[in-house]
Amino acid sequence: MAAEMALVKPISKFSSITKPKFGDARAPTCSLRPRVFTIKMSATSEQATTAKKPRKKVNKTAIKETLLTPRFYTTDFDEMETLFNTEINKNLNQDEFVALLQEFKTDYNQTHFVRNKEFKEAADKMEGPLRQIFVEFLERSCTAEFSGFLLYKELGRRLKKTNPVVAEIFSLMSRDEARHAGFLNKGLSDFNLALDLGFLTKARKYTFFKPKFIFYATYLSEKIGYWRYITIYRHLKANPEYQCYPIFKYFENWCQDENRHGDFFSALMKAQPQFLNDWKAKLWSRFFCLSVYVTMYLNDCQRTAFYEGIGLNTKEFDMHVIIETNRTTARIFPAVLDVENPEFKRRLDRMVEINEKLVAVGETQDIGLVKNLKRIPLIAALASELLATYLIPPVESGSVDIAEFETQLVY
Amino acid sequence: MLGSASLSVTAAAAIVPTSNGITGTGRQLALSFPSSQKSLLGFVSSNSNLNARSRSTSSFKTAVASVDSNQLSSSSTPPDKQESNKYYFVVANAKFMLDEEEHFQELMFERLRHYGERNKEQDFWLVIEPKFLDKFPDITKRLRRPAVALVSTNGPWITFMKLRLDRVLSGSYEADSREEALASNPTTLEFEKPEKWVAPYPKYEFGWWETFLPTGSKESKV
Repeated sequence: MAAEMALVKPISKFSSITKPKFGDARAPTCSLRPRVFTIKMSATSEQATTAKKPRKKVNKTAIKETLLTPRFYTTDFDEMETLFNTEINKNLNQDEFVALLQEFKTDYNQTHFVRNKEFKEAADKMEGPLRQIFVEFLERSCTAEFSGFLLYKELGRRLKKTNPVVAEIFSLMSRDEARHAGFLNKGLSDFNLALDLGFLTKARKYTFFKPKFIFYATYLSEKIGYWRYITIYRHLKANPEYQCYPIFKYFENWCQDENRHGDFFSALMKAQPQFLNDWKAKLWSRFFCLSVYVTMYLNDCQRTAFYEGIGLNTKEFDMHVIIETNRTTARIFPAVLDVENPEFKRRLDRMVEINEKLVAVGETQDIGLVKNLKRIPLIAALASELLATYLIPPVESGSVDIAEFETQLVY
Repeated sequence: MLGSASLSVTAAAAIVPTSNGITGTGRQLALSFPSSQKSLLGFVSSNSNLNARSRSTSSFKTAVASVDSNQLSSSSTPPDKQESNKYYFVVANAKFMLDEEEHFQELMFERLRHYGERNKEQDFWLVIEPKFLDKFPDITKRLRRPAVALVSTNGPWITFMKLRLDRVLSGSYEADSREEALASNPTTLEFEKPEKWVAPYPKYEFGWWETFLPTGSKESKV
């Protein structure tokens, strides 16, 4: 309830004043929680679509033209119900869920998201390109958080009967997401804008993932979100001269929510070891790592202005986030990518170059057919880079509660 | 908000009768339906009585110990003075616990902040080279030294920390006094600087853990 309130408020407050202005909320490119992972060659299809509609620099008509429905997730709720049905799965280990429920109920950030007048003042000082970048950043981050809210809320509702503990955790996570989305939306009000979340909900286009893929994707999304937030927070703490908008000061506590959400998906997967312990699981794990890391890298490299604007080197920031996320992910996924292998970064950088060419093709004045012909070799090149990156010898990993190598570990 | 919170807690408690949500729920529900919920009233009376609590079995104590963190709305609840004698822990080598896992530090300070905000007595500590490890030969033979344990009387929280840290060993033990439970052997900690530090921020400061050492054992710090 409280969660919904937090969400509803900004909408009703602003939707009467501001019409839905934000289109293209589809790919949260510069959001903190990259939530876009398309299954088939994520980067390629993503960029190809973007390229079809050249984004003229934010001009209101252009925004309207590119009004694409945001990507939200949906899943097979019946399968979810079966997976966590305590009647069917009598051996379902509930200890970790009970422990997590206690953590989420503790609600560490109940009073954290309180704004002050610094926000408006900082926003008023921002001008020109930086202002635009910030608006986009807030908008995409808000959409990403909101998409989490919708998914978790629905899962909380659907699992209530079959597994009340898991259901309540989902509901409490949707509380967190709603809080985050509401806070970001209030940030938009500093720029005299508002994301119409009600509109987004109705206009949503769902990306369907089977539960097991929701687990992989959402786990990574939460953990990578944590690493992005904490990295920005700690960087700005050390370099306060880049602190141009007070929202970053909230990140330290904020991202603990993300990290805990990730832990919950960890527990969900541990409760379903069939998603973790065979060769298919290893292939999928690597695949999801690859799509998430590549999507983030390519997106961020297209928005270096944002990261440079807060004093970060985009590629260094991304590599740090990737390495740390991968290290975290190795605590649960049965296999992860060898991201510290120099070949990994070399290939990522080559993908950035190819992607830049793809974007450039989209921006030419050629007719559609010519554009598509020009794209073919580039997409082939990108696909081959992706495949080669995927095939870099992986790192065996996993939770010590499951992994076979546990017996050899020294703690 | 209260209403919806207590209802959902009920559901949780119904499935996991040993879960910590029970007493909080009982109390809240009992307030809403004072006459019709006899069994819940029973819960309330046994739990609102501190003496009854200290006489209860150890598993019940576990539930009580963790109940406090759920009674967030009732700020009037005095900090639980009763000392549970059951301690839960996760343990690993000091470098892992104190130097490598920086998110661990964030969780510790977050919890400390939370306890401060709710005026709760601290029930979690870091113990460097804990003496209780002598009771766990199966753990010590797999442990690099010096070792550091995170110890708490709140069992579910330790379960959560095990989930988070993963590369740790866990267990529980009983002790008659807090001093005994948290006793440690004097050790000097030293961590080598990481070979390459590529993060765009400095590392957390050496010694951050001192805040969490049990009072009276500060000599074990560097």
